[in-house]
Amino acid sequence: MLFLQRTLPLIIAFLAGMIGIFTYYIPVAHAVETETSTWYRIIAAFALFLGIHSLLHMHWNRMRRKIAGWGYSLITFIGFGITFLLSVYNNGNGPFQPLAEGNGLDLNWMYTHIHVAGGATMFSLLAFFIASAAYRTFRARSAEAAILLLAAILVMLGRVPVGAYLSEHLPTISQWLMAVPNLAARRGILLGVSLGAVATSLRIIFGIERSYLGGDEQ
Amino acid sequence: MIKRLLNIDRRIIYFSVFLSVCLPLLVQFELPVKATPNVRSVYNALDLLAEQENPTVLISFDYGPSSQPELQPMALAILRHCFSRGIRVVGVTLITEAVGLAQQAFETAAGEYDRQYGKDYAFLGFKAGGAILVLNMGQDLHATFEKDIRGNTTADMDVTRNIRSLRDFNYVLDLASGFPGIDEWIAYGQERYRFPLGAGCTAVMAPDYFPFLQSGQLNGLIGGLAGAAGYESLINRKGLAISGMRPQSVAHVLIIAFILLGNVVFFLHHRSSGPAKGTAE
Repeated sequence: MLFLQRTLPLIIAFLAGMIGIFTYYIPVAHAVETETSTWYRIIAAFALFLGIHSLLHMHWNRMRRKIAGWGYSLITFIGFGITFLLSVYNNGNGPFQPLAEGNGLDLNWMYTHIHVAGGATMFSLLAFFIASAAYRTFRARSAEAAILLLAAILVMLGRVPVGAYLSEHLPTISQWLMAVPNLAARRGILLGVSLGAVATSLRIIFGIERSYLGGDEQ
Repeated sequence: MIKRLLNIDRRIIYFSVFLSVCLPLLVQFELPVKATPNVRSVYNALDLLAEQENPTVLISFDYGPSSQPELQPMALAILRHCFSRGIRVVGVTLITEAVGLAQQAFETAAGEYDRQYGKDYAFLGFKAGGAILVLNMGQDLHATFEKDIRGNTTADMDVTRNIRSLRDFNYVLDLASGFPGIDEWIAYGQERYRFPLGAGCTAVMAPDYFPFLQSGQLNGLIGGLAGAAGYESLINRKGLAISGMRPQSVAHVLIIAFILLGNVVFFLHHRSSGPAKGTAE
Protein backbone atom coordinates (compact mmCIF):
# COMPACT_ATOMS: atom_id res chain seq x y z
CA MET A 1 0.00 0.00 0.00
CA LEU A 2 2.87 2.32 0.88
CA PHE A 3 4.36 1.55 -2.56
CA LEU A 4 1.15 2.70 -4.32
CA GLN A 5 0.66 5.74 -2.09
CA ARG A 6 4.21 7.06 -1.99
CA THR A 7 6.85 5.24 -4.03
CA LEU A 8 4.95 4.82 -7.31
CA PRO A 9 3.89 8.51 -7.57
CA LEU A 10 7.49 9.53 -6.84
CA ILE A 11 8.78 7.23 -9.62
CA ILE A 12 6.16 8.58 -12.06
CA ALA A 13 7.03 12.20 -11.16
CA PHE A 14 10.75 11.49 -11.58
CA LEU A 15 10.33 9.77 -14.97
CA ALA A 16 7.87 12.37 -16.29
CA GLY A 17 10.12 15.22 -15.17
CA MET A 18 13.30 13.74 -16.65
CA ILE A 19 11.60 12.85 -19.94
CA GLY A 20 10.19 16.39 -20.11
CA ILE A 21 13.62 17.97 -19.61
CA PHE A 22 15.53 15.69 -22.00
CA THR A 23 12.99 15.73 -24.81
CA TYR A 24 12.79 19.53 -24.73
CA TYR A 25 16.53 20.15 -24.91
CA ILE A 26 17.80 17.19 -26.97
CA PRO A 27 16.79 17.47 -30.66
CA VAL A 28 16.96 13.70 -31.37
CA ALA A 29 14.36 13.09 -28.67
CA HIS A 30 11.71 15.30 -30.32
CA ALA A 31 9.76 12.23 -31.52
CA VAL A 32 9.41 11.14 -27.90
CA GLU A 33 8.31 14.67 -27.03
CA THR A 34 5.53 14.49 -29.65
CA GLU A 35 4.28 11.27 -28.07
CA THR A 36 4.52 12.39 -24.43
CA SER A 37 2.94 15.77 -25.12
CA THR A 38 -0.03 13.95 -26.69
CA TRP A 39 -0.32 11.87 -23.50
CA TYR A 40 -0.25 15.09 -21.51
CA ARG A 41 -3.16 16.52 -23.49
CA ILE A 42 -5.19 13.34 -23.00
CA ILE A 43 -4.55 13.50 -19.24
CA ALA A 44 -5.47 17.22 -19.26
CA ALA A 45 -8.78 16.37 -20.97
CA PHE A 46 -9.52 13.81 -18.26
CA ALA A 47 -8.71 16.45 -15.64
CA LEU A 48 -11.80 18.30 -16.92
CA PHE A 49 -13.93 15.33 -15.79
CA LEU A 50 -12.21 15.40 -12.41
CA GLY A 51 -12.97 19.12 -12.17
CA ILE A 52 -16.66 18.51 -12.92
CA HIS A 53 -16.80 15.74 -10.33
CA SER A 54 -15.07 17.90 -7.71
CA LEU A 55 -17.39 20.87 -8.37
CA LEU A 56 -20.59 18.84 -8.23
CA HIS A 57 -19.44 16.82 -5.21
CA MET A 58 -18.66 19.97 -3.22
CA HIS A 59 -21.97 21.65 -4.05
CA TRP A 60 -23.93 18.44 -3.44
CA ASN A 61 -22.46 18.28 0.08
CA ARG A 62 -23.31 21.94 0.71
CA MET A 63 -26.93 21.30 -0.29
CA ARG A 64 -27.18 18.04 1.67
CA ARG A 65 -25.90 19.68 4.86
CA LYS A 66 -27.88 22.90 4.26
CA ILE A 67 -24.73 24.99 4.76
CA ALA A 68 -25.35 28.78 4.68
CA GLY A 69 -25.71 29.88 1.04
CA TRP A 70 -26.68 26.39 -0.16
CA GLY A 71 -29.16 28.03 -2.55
CA TYR A 72 -26.23 29.19 -4.67
CA SER A 73 -25.10 25.56 -4.89
CA LEU A 74 -28.56 24.67 -6.18
CA ILE A 75 -28.21 27.38 -8.85
CA THR A 76 -24.83 25.88 -9.80
CA PHE A 77 -26.49 22.48 -10.23
CA ILE A 78 -29.34 23.91 -12.30
CA GLY A 79 -26.91 25.93 -14.45
CA PHE A 80 -24.69 22.91 -15.00
CA GLY A 81 -27.69 20.71 -15.85
CA ILE A 82 -29.18 23.11 -18.40
CA THR A 83 -25.80 23.76 -20.04
CA PHE A 84 -25.04 20.03 -20.19
CA LEU A 85 -28.44 19.16 -21.69
CA LEU A 86 -28.24 21.94 -24.30
CA SER A 87 -24.74 20.85 -25.36
CA VAL A 88 -25.81 17.21 -25.65
CA TYR A 89 -28.96 18.19 -27.56
CA ASN A 90 -26.94 20.58 -29.80
CA ASN A 91 -30.02 21.81 -31.69
CA GLY A 92 -31.02 18.23 -32.48
CA ASN A 93 -27.63 17.27 -33.95
CA GLY A 94 -26.42 15.29 -30.94
CA PRO A 95 -23.24 15.57 -28.86
CA PHE A 96 -20.78 14.22 -31.45
CA GLN A 97 -21.41 16.83 -34.15
CA PRO A 98 -19.80 20.32 -34.33
CA LEU A 99 -21.52 22.99 -32.26
CA ALA A 100 -24.72 24.05 -34.04
CA GLU A 101 -25.24 27.74 -34.75
CA GLY A 102 -28.91 28.28 -34.00
CA ASN A 103 -30.96 31.37 -33.30
CA GLY A 104 -33.20 30.06 -30.54
CA LEU A 105 -32.63 29.07 -26.93
CA ASP A 106 -29.44 27.08 -27.36
CA LEU A 107 -25.93 26.92 -25.97
CA ASN A 108 -24.83 29.99 -27.94
CA TRP A 109 -27.76 31.97 -26.56
CA MET A 110 -26.89 30.96 -23.00
CA TYR A 111 -23.24 31.79 -23.57
CA THR A 112 -23.92 35.24 -25.03
CA HIS A 113 -26.79 36.34 -22.83
CA ILE A 114 -25.84 34.78 -19.49
CA HIS A 115 -22.17 33.83 -19.37
CA VAL A 116 -20.71 36.79 -21.29
CA ALA A 117 -23.06 39.34 -19.72
CA GLY A 118 -22.53 37.96 -16.20
CA GLY A 119 -18.75 37.71 -16.54
CA ALA A 120 -18.40 41.25 -17.85
CA THR A 121 -20.68 42.58 -15.09
CA MET A 122 -18.66 40.90 -12.33
CA PHE A 123 -15.40 42.28 -13.71
CA SER A 124 -16.79 45.80 -14.12
CA LEU A 125 -17.59 45.93 -10.40
CA LEU A 126 -13.83 46.16 -9.83
CA ALA A 127 -13.89 49.84 -10.85
CA PHE A 128 -16.10 50.67 -7.86
CA PHE A 129 -13.93 48.79 -5.37
CA ILE A 130 -10.71 50.24 -6.81
CA ALA A 131 -12.05 53.79 -6.49
CA SER A 132 -13.10 53.22 -2.87
CA ALA A 133 -9.86 51.43 -1.94
CA ALA A 134 -7.72 54.11 -3.63
CA TYR A 135 -9.45 56.88 -1.68
CA ARG A 136 -8.98 55.13 1.67
CA THR A 137 -5.53 53.58 1.41
CA PHE A 138 -3.39 55.21 -1.29
CA ARG A 139 -1.62 57.70 1.02
CA ALA A 140 1.75 59.43 0.71
CA ARG A 141 2.88 58.40 4.21
CA SER A 142 6.57 58.16 3.25
CA ALA A 143 8.92 59.32 0.49
CA GLU A 144 8.66 55.90 -1.23
CA ALA A 145 4.85 55.98 -1.06
CA ALA A 146 4.86 59.53 -2.45
CA ILE A 147 7.01 58.43 -5.43
CA LEU A 148 4.67 55.49 -6.04
CA LEU A 149 1.66 57.81 -5.85
CA LEU A 150 3.16 60.27 -8.31
CA ALA A 151 4.12 57.48 -10.73
CA ALA A 152 0.62 55.99 -10.50
CA ILE A 153 -1.03 59.32 -11.26
CA LEU A 154 1.27 59.99 -14.22
CA VAL A 155 0.68 56.51 -15.68
CA MET A 156 -3.09 56.70 -15.10
CA LEU A 157 -3.26 60.01 -16.92
CA GLY A 158 -0.76 59.09 -19.62
CA ARG A 159 -2.52 55.86 -20.59
CA VAL A 160 -5.84 57.51 -21.49
CA PRO A 161 -6.53 60.21 -24.13
CA VAL A 162 -7.35 62.82 -21.50
CA GLY A 163 -3.65 62.78 -20.56
CA ALA A 164 -2.62 63.78 -24.08
CA TYR A 165 -5.37 66.40 -24.00
CA LEU A 166 -3.92 67.95 -20.80
CA SER A 167 -0.29 67.77 -21.90
CA GLU A 168 1.42 66.17 -24.88
CA HIS A 169 4.27 65.09 -22.55
CA LEU A 170 2.13 62.90 -20.30
CA PRO A 171 1.94 59.88 -22.69
CA THR A 172 5.74 60.09 -23.19
CA ILE A 173 6.37 60.19 -19.43
CA SER A 174 3.95 57.29 -18.92
CA GLN A 175 5.66 55.24 -21.66
CA TRP A 176 9.09 55.95 -20.11
CA LEU A 177 7.89 54.86 -16.66
CA MET A 178 6.60 51.61 -18.13
CA ALA A 179 9.58 50.93 -20.39
CA VAL A 180 12.41 51.79 -17.97
CA PRO A 181 11.74 51.57 -14.18
CA ASN A 182 8.83 49.13 -14.57
CA LEU A 183 10.78 46.97 -17.02
CA ALA A 184 13.81 46.78 -14.71
CA ALA A 185 11.70 45.78 -11.71
CA ARG A 186 9.66 43.26 -13.71
CA ARG A 187 12.76 41.65 -15.14
CA GLY A 188 14.21 41.20 -11.64
CA ILE A 189 10.97 39.68 -10.37
CA LEU A 190 10.70 37.44 -13.45
CA LEU A 191 14.24 36.09 -13.06
CA GLY A 192 13.68 35.47 -9.35
CA VAL A 193 10.37 33.67 -9.93
CA SER A 194 11.84 31.61 -12.79
CA LEU A 195 14.84 30.48 -10.70
CA GLY A 196 12.43 29.60 -7.89
CA ALA A 197 10.30 27.57 -10.32
CA VAL A 198 13.39 25.67 -11.53
CA ALA A 199 14.42 24.92 -7.94
CA THR A 200 10.89 23.77 -6.98
CA SER A 201 10.64 21.59 -10.12
CA LEU A 202 13.95 19.89 -9.33
CA ARG A 203 12.81 19.30 -5.74
CA ILE A 204 9.63 17.61 -7.04
CA ILE A 205 11.48 15.56 -9.69
CA PHE A 206 14.01 14.25 -7.14
CA GLY A 207 11.35 13.56 -4.52
CA ILE A 208 12.51 16.18 -2.00
CA GLU A 209 9.24 18.12 -2.21
CA ARG A 210 6.37 15.68 -1.56
CA SER A 211 3.49 17.89 -0.45
CA TYR A 212 1.64 17.12 -3.72
CA LEU A 213 1.19 13.54 -2.46
CA GLY A 214 -1.23 14.86 0.18
CA GLY A 215 -1.48 13.86 3.85
CA ASP A 216 1.42 14.81 6.10
CA GLU A 217 4.14 13.79 3.64
CA GLN A 218 6.86 16.41 3.38
CA MET B 1 -15.98 67.89 8.56
CA ILE B 2 -12.51 66.41 8.01
CA LYS B 3 -13.48 63.31 9.96
CA ARG B 4 -16.60 62.92 7.85
CA LEU B 5 -14.53 63.20 4.69
CA LEU B 6 -12.01 60.72 6.06
CA ASN B 7 -14.76 58.16 6.61
CA ILE B 8 -16.81 59.07 3.56
CA ASP B 9 -19.72 56.73 2.81
CA ARG B 10 -18.53 54.34 0.12
CA ARG B 11 -21.90 54.64 -1.62
CA ILE B 12 -20.97 58.25 -2.52
CA ILE B 13 -17.79 56.98 -4.17
CA TYR B 14 -19.70 54.22 -5.97
CA PHE B 15 -22.32 56.68 -7.23
CA SER B 16 -19.60 59.07 -8.47
CA VAL B 17 -17.93 56.22 -10.38
CA PHE B 18 -21.32 55.23 -11.80
CA LEU B 19 -21.89 58.78 -13.07
CA SER B 20 -18.32 59.08 -14.39
CA VAL B 21 -18.95 56.02 -16.57
CA CYS B 22 -22.57 56.67 -17.60
CA LEU B 23 -22.50 60.38 -18.44
CA PRO B 24 -19.58 60.21 -20.93
CA LEU B 25 -21.42 57.40 -22.71
CA LEU B 26 -24.45 59.67 -23.14
CA VAL B 27 -22.57 62.88 -23.97
CA GLN B 28 -20.52 62.93 -27.18
CA PHE B 29 -17.12 64.63 -27.02
CA GLU B 30 -13.85 63.99 -28.82
CA LEU B 31 -10.55 63.09 -27.19
CA PRO B 32 -7.23 62.69 -29.03
CA VAL B 33 -6.58 58.95 -29.37
CA LYS B 34 -2.99 58.10 -30.29
CA ALA B 35 -1.37 54.69 -30.66
CA THR B 36 1.68 53.93 -28.52
CA PRO B 37 4.88 52.66 -30.23
CA ASN B 38 4.12 49.11 -29.01
CA VAL B 39 0.65 49.14 -30.61
CA ARG B 40 2.11 50.64 -33.79
CA SER B 41 4.62 47.75 -33.96
CA VAL B 42 1.80 45.19 -34.20
CA TYR B 43 0.00 47.31 -36.79
CA ASN B 44 3.15 47.74 -38.90
CA ALA B 45 3.98 44.02 -38.74
CA LEU B 46 0.53 43.12 -40.07
CA ASP B 47 0.51 45.93 -42.61
CA LEU B 48 3.84 44.79 -44.09
CA LEU B 49 2.47 41.24 -44.48
CA ALA B 50 -0.11 42.50 -46.96
CA GLU B 51 2.71 42.94 -49.49
CA GLN B 52 3.53 39.21 -49.39
CA GLU B 53 1.78 36.43 -51.29
CA ASN B 54 -1.02 34.72 -49.35
CA PRO B 55 0.05 35.91 -45.90
CA THR B 56 -1.49 33.91 -43.06
CA VAL B 57 -1.75 35.01 -39.45
CA LEU B 58 -2.61 32.93 -36.40
CA ILE B 59 -4.64 34.59 -33.63
CA SER B 60 -4.99 32.83 -30.30
CA PHE B 61 -8.10 34.03 -28.46
CA ASP B 62 -7.15 33.31 -24.85
CA TYR B 63 -9.65 35.43 -22.96
CA GLY B 64 -13.05 34.89 -21.41
CA PRO B 65 -16.19 36.96 -20.89
CA SER B 66 -14.78 38.79 -17.84
CA SER B 67 -12.12 40.53 -19.96
CA GLN B 68 -14.26 40.69 -23.09
CA PRO B 69 -14.90 44.49 -22.78
CA GLU B 70 -11.16 45.11 -23.14
CA LEU B 71 -10.08 42.36 -25.52
CA GLN B 72 -13.02 41.88 -27.87
CA PRO B 73 -12.70 45.40 -29.40
CA MET B 74 -8.99 44.63 -29.84
CA ALA B 75 -9.76 41.35 -31.63
CA LEU B 76 -12.30 43.08 -33.87
CA ALA B 77 -9.87 45.88 -34.79
CA ILE B 78 -7.11 43.37 -35.68
CA LEU B 79 -9.47 41.16 -37.69
CA ARG B 80 -10.80 44.20 -39.57
CA HIS B 81 -7.25 45.26 -40.35
CA CYS B 82 -6.32 41.76 -41.59
CA PHE B 83 -9.44 41.31 -43.72
CA SER B 84 -9.19 44.80 -45.20
CA ARG B 85 -5.60 44.09 -46.28
CA GLY B 86 -6.26 40.59 -47.67
CA ILE B 87 -4.45 38.76 -44.85
CA ARG B 88 -5.78 35.27 -44.11
CA VAL B 89 -6.49 34.49 -40.47
CA VAL B 90 -6.56 31.23 -38.53
CA GLY B 91 -7.98 31.30 -34.99
CA VAL B 92 -7.44 28.96 -32.04
CA THR B 93 -8.01 29.19 -28.31
CA LEU B 94 -6.32 27.63 -25.30
CA ILE B 95 -9.33 28.22 -23.02
CA THR B 96 -12.88 26.90 -23.29
CA GLU B 97 -14.59 30.19 -22.47
CA ALA B 98 -13.21 31.98 -25.52
CA VAL B 99 -14.85 29.85 -28.20
CA GLY B 100 -18.07 31.86 -28.49
CA LEU B 101 -16.31 35.23 -28.37
CA ALA B 102 -13.85 34.24 -31.08
CA GLN B 103 -16.69 33.01 -33.31
CA GLN B 104 -18.59 36.27 -32.79
CA ALA B 105 -15.50 38.34 -33.67
CA PHE B 106 -14.84 36.32 -36.84
CA GLU B 107 -18.47 36.46 -37.99
CA THR B 108 -18.69 40.24 -37.44
CA ALA B 109 -15.42 41.15 -39.18
CA ALA B 110 -15.69 38.59 -41.99
CA GLY B 111 -19.26 39.74 -42.73
CA GLU B 112 -18.14 43.35 -43.08
CA TYR B 113 -15.43 42.49 -45.64
CA ASP B 114 -17.24 39.61 -47.34
CA ARG B 115 -14.55 37.05 -46.44
CA GLN B 116 -15.19 33.35 -46.98
CA TYR B 117 -14.84 30.70 -44.31
CA GLY B 118 -12.18 28.11 -45.18
CA LYS B 119 -10.61 30.32 -47.85
CA ASP B 120 -9.89 33.56 -46.03
CA TYR B 121 -10.26 32.49 -42.42
CA ALA B 122 -10.93 29.51 -40.18
CA PHE B 123 -11.44 28.89 -36.49
CA LEU B 124 -9.97 25.67 -35.14
CA GLY B 125 -11.58 25.95 -31.70
CA PHE B 126 -10.40 24.70 -28.31
CA LYS B 127 -8.39 21.69 -27.24
CA ALA B 128 -7.16 20.88 -23.76
CA GLY B 129 -3.46 21.11 -22.94
CA GLY B 130 -2.61 24.82 -22.67
CA ALA B 131 1.13 25.22 -23.14
CA ILE B 132 1.52 21.69 -24.50
CA LEU B 133 -1.04 22.46 -27.18
CA VAL B 134 1.25 25.26 -28.37
CA LEU B 135 4.13 22.79 -28.52
CA ASN B 136 1.98 20.32 -30.49
CA MET B 137 0.88 22.99 -32.96
CA GLY B 138 4.54 23.68 -33.63
CA GLN B 139 5.21 19.98 -34.23
CA ASP B 140 2.27 19.30 -36.53
CA LEU B 141 -0.73 21.60 -36.84
CA HIS B 142 -2.79 19.19 -38.94
CA ALA B 143 -2.31 16.37 -36.43
CA THR B 144 -3.08 18.61 -33.46
CA PHE B 145 -6.21 20.07 -35.04
CA GLU B 146 -7.40 17.47 -37.53
CA LYS B 147 -10.71 19.29 -37.87
CA ASP B 148 -11.85 22.87 -37.32
CA ILE B 149 -14.82 23.86 -35.19
CA ARG B 150 -17.25 23.24 -38.07
CA GLY B 151 -15.91 19.73 -38.74
CA ASN B 152 -13.84 20.60 -41.84
CA THR B 153 -10.48 18.84 -42.24
CA THR B 154 -7.63 21.30 -41.73
CA ALA B 155 -5.44 19.53 -44.31
CA ASP B 156 -8.12 20.25 -46.95
CA MET B 157 -9.08 23.85 -46.23
CA ASP B 158 -7.40 26.53 -48.40
CA VAL B 159 -6.40 28.65 -45.45
CA THR B 160 -4.67 25.85 -43.51
CA ARG B 161 -3.59 23.43 -46.25
CA ASN B 162 -0.02 24.73 -46.46
CA ILE B 163 0.38 25.42 -42.75
CA ARG B 164 2.10 22.39 -41.21
CA SER B 165 3.68 24.09 -38.20
CA LEU B 166 3.62 27.36 -36.30
CA ARG B 167 6.75 28.26 -38.28
CA ASP B 168 4.61 28.50 -41.43
CA PHE B 169 2.53 31.39 -40.10
CA ASN B 170 3.75 34.82 -41.14
CA TYR B 171 2.77 36.27 -37.78
CA VAL B 172 1.24 34.98 -34.56
CA LEU B 173 -0.80 37.12 -32.21
CA ASP B 174 -1.97 36.13 -28.76
CA LEU B 175 -4.87 37.99 -27.15
CA ALA B 176 -4.82 36.87 -23.53
CA SER B 177 -6.18 37.71 -20.13
CA GLY B 178 -4.22 35.26 -17.98
CA PHE B 179 -3.14 31.62 -17.92
CA PRO B 180 -2.62 30.00 -20.38
CA GLY B 181 -1.60 32.97 -22.45
CA ILE B 182 1.33 35.11 -23.52
CA ASP B 183 3.93 33.44 -21.27
CA GLU B 184 3.09 30.04 -22.76
CA TRP B 185 3.19 31.34 -26.32
CA ILE B 186 6.64 32.83 -25.68
CA ALA B 187 8.16 29.84 -23.85
CA TYR B 188 6.68 26.97 -25.88
CA GLY B 189 5.98 28.72 -29.18
CA GLN B 190 8.13 31.70 -30.10
CA GLU B 191 11.32 30.48 -28.40
CA ARG B 192 11.02 27.02 -29.90
CA TYR B 193 9.74 27.71 -33.40
CA ARG B 194 11.04 31.26 -33.93
CA PHE B 195 8.03 33.00 -35.44
CA PRO B 196 7.26 36.71 -35.03
CA LEU B 197 4.90 37.09 -32.06
CA GLY B 198 2.72 40.01 -31.01
CA ALA B 199 0.40 40.18 -28.03
CA GLY B 200 -2.68 41.90 -26.70
CA CYS B 201 -3.70 41.78 -23.06
CA THR B 202 -5.70 43.52 -20.35
CA ALA B 203 -4.34 46.85 -19.07
CA VAL B 204 -3.31 45.44 -15.69
CA MET B 205 -1.25 42.69 -17.38
CA ALA B 206 0.59 44.97 -19.81
CA PRO B 207 3.45 46.05 -17.46
CA ASP B 208 4.42 42.38 -17.01
CA TYR B 209 5.36 42.00 -20.68
CA PHE B 210 7.70 44.96 -21.20
CA PRO B 211 10.82 42.77 -20.58
CA PHE B 212 9.74 40.55 -23.50
CA LEU B 213 9.41 43.59 -25.75
CA GLN B 214 12.97 44.67 -25.04
CA SER B 215 14.30 41.14 -25.55
CA GLY B 216 12.54 40.95 -28.93
CA GLN B 217 10.48 37.90 -27.99
CA LEU B 218 7.41 40.08 -28.47
CA ASN B 219 7.36 42.36 -31.48
CA GLY B 220 4.55 44.54 -30.13
CA LEU B 221 2.01 44.80 -27.34
CA ILE B 222 -1.55 46.11 -27.25
CA GLY B 223 -2.48 46.87 -23.66
CA GLY B 224 -6.12 47.14 -22.59
CA LEU B 225 -8.91 49.22 -24.05
CA ALA B 226 -6.53 52.17 -24.56
CA GLY B 227 -4.33 49.95 -26.75
CA ALA B 228 -7.38 48.77 -28.69
CA ALA B 229 -8.45 52.40 -29.19
CA GLY B 230 -4.97 53.18 -30.51
CA TYR B 231 -5.30 50.30 -32.98
CA GLU B 232 -8.74 51.53 -34.08
CA SER B 233 -7.24 54.98 -34.71
CA LEU B 234 -4.52 53.40 -36.89
CA ILE B 235 -7.05 51.58 -39.08
CA ASN B 236 -9.24 54.70 -39.17
CA ARG B 237 -12.27 52.93 -37.86
CA LYS B 238 -14.02 54.12 -34.72
CA GLY B 239 -15.34 51.21 -32.72
CA LEU B 240 -16.15 50.24 -29.16
CA ALA B 241 -12.62 50.99 -27.94
CA ILE B 242 -12.51 54.63 -29.05
CA SER B 243 -15.99 55.32 -27.67
CA GLY B 244 -14.92 53.53 -24.47
CA MET B 245 -12.09 56.03 -24.01
CA ARG B 246 -14.52 58.73 -22.91
CA PRO B 247 -15.82 56.93 -19.79
CA GLN B 248 -12.37 55.46 -19.08
CA SER B 249 -10.73 58.90 -19.22
CA VAL B 250 -13.33 60.47 -16.95
CA ALA B 251 -13.17 57.52 -14.52
CA HIS B 252 -9.36 57.81 -14.37
CA VAL B 253 -9.59 61.52 -13.61
CA LEU B 254 -12.22 60.85 -10.94
CA ILE B 255 -10.07 58.17 -9.25
CA ILE B 256 -7.06 60.52 -9.31
CA ALA B 257 -9.25 63.25 -7.77
CA PHE B 258 -10.33 60.81 -5.05
CA ILE B 259 -6.71 59.83 -4.34
CA LEU B 260 -5.66 63.49 -4.07
CA LEU B 261 -8.68 64.36 -1.91
CA GLY B 262 -7.98 61.37 0.31
CA ASN B 263 -4.40 62.53 0.81
CA VAL B 264 -5.36 66.16 1.53
CA VAL B 265 -7.96 65.04 4.09
CA PHE B 266 -5.49 62.58 5.60
CA PHE B 267 -2.80 65.23 6.09
CA LEU B 268 -5.24 67.81 7.48
CA HIS B 269 -6.48 65.24 9.96
CA HIS B 270 -2.90 64.19 10.73
CA ARG B 271 -1.95 67.80 11.48
CA SER B 272 -4.96 68.48 13.70
CA SER B 273 -4.93 65.24 15.76
CA GLY B 274 -1.61 63.46 15.31
CA PRO B 275 -1.11 60.21 13.34
CA ALA B 276 -4.39 58.58 12.23
CA LYS B 277 -5.09 55.22 13.78
CA GLY B 278 -6.58 52.15 12.14
CA THR B 279 -5.90 53.12 8.53
CA ALA B 280 -3.84 50.88 6.27
CA GLU B 281 -0.28 51.75 5.40
